[in-house]
Amino acid sequence: MEALSDNALMIAVRDGDTGRLGLLFERYKRPLYGFFYGMNRNQELSEDLVQNTFFRILKYRHLFRGEGDFRTWMFHIARNVSHDHFRKDKLKWKESLESWQNKLGHEENREGEMQLTETNAMLSMAMDRLPQDKKEVLLLSKYQEKKYKEIGEIIGCSEGAVKVKVFRALQELKVIYQQLEKTM
Amino acid sequence: MEQNKIDELVAKYNEGLTDPSEVQQLERLIEEGMVELTQLRSLDRLEEQLLAVESPATSLAMDDKFYAMLIKEKKKETTSDFFSMPSWSWLAPRLAFSVALIVAGFAGGYFSTANQTSNVEQLTAQVAALKETMMLALLEKESATDRLKAVSLTSGMDQVSQKVTAALFQTLNNDPNVNVRLAALEALTPYSKDGKVRAELVRAIGRQESPFVQVALAELMGMLQEKKSVMEFDKILKDERTPVEVKNKIKESINVMI
Repeated sequence: MEALSDNALMIAVRDGDTGRLGLLFERYKRPLYGFFYGMNRNQELSEDLVQNTFFRILKYRHLFRGEGDFRTWMFHIARNVSHDHFRKDKLKWKESLESWQNKLGHEENREGEMQLTETNAMLSMAMDRLPQDKKEVLLLSKYQEKKYKEIGEIIGCSEGAVKVKVFRALQELKVIYQQLEKTM
Repeated sequence: MEQNKIDELVAKYNEGLTDPSEVQQLERLIEEGMVELTQLRSLDRLEEQLLAVESPATSLAMDDKFYAMLIKEKKKETTSDFFSMPSWSWLAPRLAFSVALIVAGFAGGYFSTANQTSNVEQLTAQVAALKETMMLALLEKESATDRLKAVSLTSGMDQVSQKVTAALFQTLNNDPNVNVRLAALEALTPYSKDGKVRAELVRAIGRQESPFVQVALAELMGMLQEKKSVMEFDKILKDERTPVEVKNKIKESINVMI
């Protein structure tokens, strides 16, 4: 099933068989959505950003060289999509982040949160309070399965530097989480 | 730094007793690869918890939008606008309907204009390729219903590519849902005239634990008179865990073959 590997599929897309992108979409729509949802906690927006990512993958397919990992290339694009969106909607994003406590009062979010265990709900809240760059590196670590070298390629730093970023992000997350535990 | 000093520092961190300068030291060691994040117990636990947090499910609308975009892109690639592809909401999972529309479209064109043979062949190939892509995409889905639809897409395909048969065998041997595996076996049956497919079907016998699939394979091999399957079925007969009903069915099929 070599022909169905990510890289083989993307090379086929690059070389004209654009239909193969459907298979990559089915494989990666959930992890990509999870990444965006982790960043912005908005279901509709996250789906739009997934769409934007695949749109760019299709538009820039000729740039895929096939030497590196497709997933790394895809998350590199996803990160840019996320940054571009937040650059455009800086004010809107800030408001939504600051009003996360109000959002919890909305029916749809409450329903979603009730499905999580208490621990997961608090962890999600703690993640929401992290600075954007720390949240991003933890989400990349999650969806790139802790492949720090690949994450370094995505964010433009060494593998060692990624590990330190993850360390600092986890430290801060732990502090926030412990504060939330005390207040709840 | 010596290894025992590093170990002491890690132990101190795990007990929550490090001061800021020691944490900085730890960061340097992490960057150099002398300390792994997994050694820092509380952080490792937190990271594991983070992995377990799931995001909400995606909507069908997201799929619709993506496939609409893909179809639009494919339309740009084909120079002919002789047929227009229906939107994705028709295609998945109602591909048969869409394919019928396309077939009707170019069949109509065939009768109405001269010299359509090459167009028809081209479009037939495109439809087959699209069906294949759909099938492979649906096989990746979590829902057993979608995987069943994937397998059903091969019906009506006169010829299938190696990719499709490989995907069907992968499904037959590995899908967690028995119904999907049975459907995969049924989908492979028309192609069992091919020697390679037949050989692979024989190999599949030893990989099945479900009595339903074992019986279905026994029936198929009996129908095909595939004597090479006898040895594989013999192993199942000798297995104490095999239910009596399955053993009886297999013996019936073997009797037909030998």
